[in-house]
Amino acid sequence: MNIQIKGKDKGFDFSDADRDRLAGFVDALIAGGAGFPSASEADVHTVWIDRALGARPDLFPFVRQVLDTPGEPQDVLDRLRSEEESVFDELGFIVAGAYLINPKIRKGFGYPGITPEKNPAFPDEAEAYLADGILDRVIERGPIYRPTPDFEAS
Amino acid sequence: MNSKTDRADVLIIGAGASGGVAAKHLAVAGFSVVILEQGSWVATSDLPTNKAEFELLGSGRWNWNPNVRGLDEDYPVNTEESVAIPGMYNAVGGSMILYASCWCRSKPSDFRVRTLDGVADDWPISYEDLSPYYAAVEREFGVAGKAGNPAYPPDHQPPLPAHPITNAGRMMAQGMDKLGWHWWPGYNSIPSQKTDHLEQCKRLGVCMYGCPEGAKATTDLTHFPDAMKHGAKVITRARVARITTDDAGLATGAVYLQGGVEHFQAADVVIVAANGVGTPRLLLMSASNQFPDGLANSSGLVGKRYMTHPFGTSVGIYEDPVEDWTGPAGEVIESMEFYETDESRGFVRGSKWHIIPSSVAPTRMIDRWTKGEGTADESFWGTDFTARMKDMVGHMIEWMTMPDDLPEETNYIALDHDQTDSDGLPAAKVRYVTGENTKRIVDWNLERSLEAHEAAGATKAWVTGRNNPSMHNLGTARMGDDPSDSVVDKWGRSHDIPNLYVIDGSVFVTATGVNPTATISAIAKRTATYLVENARKQKVAS
Repeated sequence: MNIQIKGKDKGFDFSDADRDRLAGFVDALIAGGAGFPSASEADVHTVWIDRALGARPDLFPFVRQVLDTPGEPQDVLDRLRSEEESVFDELGFIVAGAYLINPKIRKGFGYPGITPEKNPAFPDEAEAYLADGILDRVIERGPIYRPTPDFEAS
Repeated sequence: MNSKTDRADVLIIGAGASGGVAAKHLAVAGFSVVILEQGSWVATSDLPTNKAEFELLGSGRWNWNPNVRGLDEDYPVNTEESVAIPGMYNAVGGSMILYASCWCRSKPSDFRVRTLDGVADDWPISYEDLSPYYAAVEREFGVAGKAGNPAYPPDHQPPLPAHPITNAGRMMAQGMDKLGWHWWPGYNSIPSQKTDHLEQCKRLGVCMYGCPEGAKATTDLTHFPDAMKHGAKVITRARVARITTDDAGLATGAVYLQGGVEHFQAADVVIVAANGVGTPRLLLMSASNQFPDGLANSSGLVGKRYMTHPFGTSVGIYEDPVEDWTGPAGEVIESMEFYETDESRGFVRGSKWHIIPSSVAPTRMIDRWTKGEGTADESFWGTDFTARMKDMVGHMIEWMTMPDDLPEETNYIALDHDQTDSDGLPAAKVRYVTGENTKRIVDWNLERSLEAHEAAGATKAWVTGRNNPSMHNLGTARMGDDPSDSVVDKWGRSHDIPNLYVIDGSVFVTATGVNPTATISAIAKRTATYLVENARKQKVAS
């Protein structure tokens, strides 16, 4: 399956230099650890950012703004977080979104599939959760609603 | 202007929940019905939920907020003076396309808040009046749930068995059991078994982004196909500009815009079903020399008393796997422990709680942590991101606490003539400030929800929101017996214009503390039934 979307066809594009610089930003946001790769190791700056921006092309200006801001990525991000929180939030959202749609990452978090998977209930599954009578105690405590005080059908 | 020569028995404006229920009922009864909808049909294949990036698409093109979507069929909503951001979706199926499918009947006390609690107003109808219509629409929507809930009168018996409560519900139920607090398997307009119109739920959990399996009740699937089989005509991309009246003050039809061209649809009866924002917007846009303050507005209450549900949320992290990506995403379990008034708490009325799967959409973890109370100051990005996410994804339970909201005339929907939709019609403007009683309900219930997390074994729990936006737009054309303080009567009929009806959430007298789709649908069914039974007495324009 070819999952790469050409960014320029969606109204955005990154040069090789852009992607190199983007790698610094995505790793500053997602450095990896706890058994997970960093964002650049997960190809966020090359593959998945294009896929993510394909879904949210309106967020490209935020990425562009950050890339065009001079300075070391961590310094730029620290300043954004304190002075332009909305820009930081949009960047964090699209980078995290790109990271989290990588099937390997999704699998690492325990999701059963690369998209939400069908998991229809077994015929007796609903009752199995209640088989020890846990709901009986709720019923035994009796009604907890206030009835209509003046009931007279209109 | 192009004129549709066929005069319909009934014209319905808006093809959402209430419009669908009424359209089917009236068409099956033999009425000629025309439905005007500003949006279009949504193909299952168009929904974002078959794609890995469904969450990203859901935050943009499929956002609940029309100002974010900005589609041609949307109209802008000015929220500059509002702490609430109204949600909605404009399409056949309406906001049901993106709703969670929590199917909650209002409770008997909801209809008698003045009598029981000394606040707001009683409704002109009772729970008992609506009960048969709840039951009817529950069959039509394939509602799944468990009978015998002591939080409701015994007549509440959903037609389909409840969904499994999943690990998340079971773990929280054990916590509620320790506390001796009420809980119950959730009610969902998502069938647990295949129905005539809907597939059995596959538990994808993505319900709020649109169900790709055709297993969530939306009127484009459950009602309009039957209505059309019986002759109803659904006209899409048709934005109503104004409802027209004759010299006698009776409704004659509506002028609508389609592709920039004006059309006129004549009808004996006009039903407005455009939600609690769109309905007052249209009634106000229909002002004329005869009705300078807008249609049906002799009380001055069209647009006033806007209510919503600024619900609270709290989350807990659990060591054991919760697998909280298993659907459906309506209600896993609910609690009515704190629904009824106990004035010792410092407020009247109360809140329903419910759990929905919280890990379906992993990017939502970002705000939960970085904007959460007590977590916002803790690190999240950089070297902490993956560890935090690993702690949360698949290990989280989220409570939503839905407060009753009481009407205030200072909360309203009005027209904003400075902004327009794609047809040049004025935007809606909302002014909403959360009432003190509502705030207290949310705050108090969130504190209790943290106790519930602790009892259920959470290793960490915190509040993630006290004013979440909802798609519950209510109260802006309230029903009542007195024409001086209500817009429509108990049947949804305008006091001023006897062949003009309102059937959506606008007619609510109070917000109730539950998700409103069940009550909206039951009211629509009741009004449609009334129209059929009283057709010969119905006054119409000559």
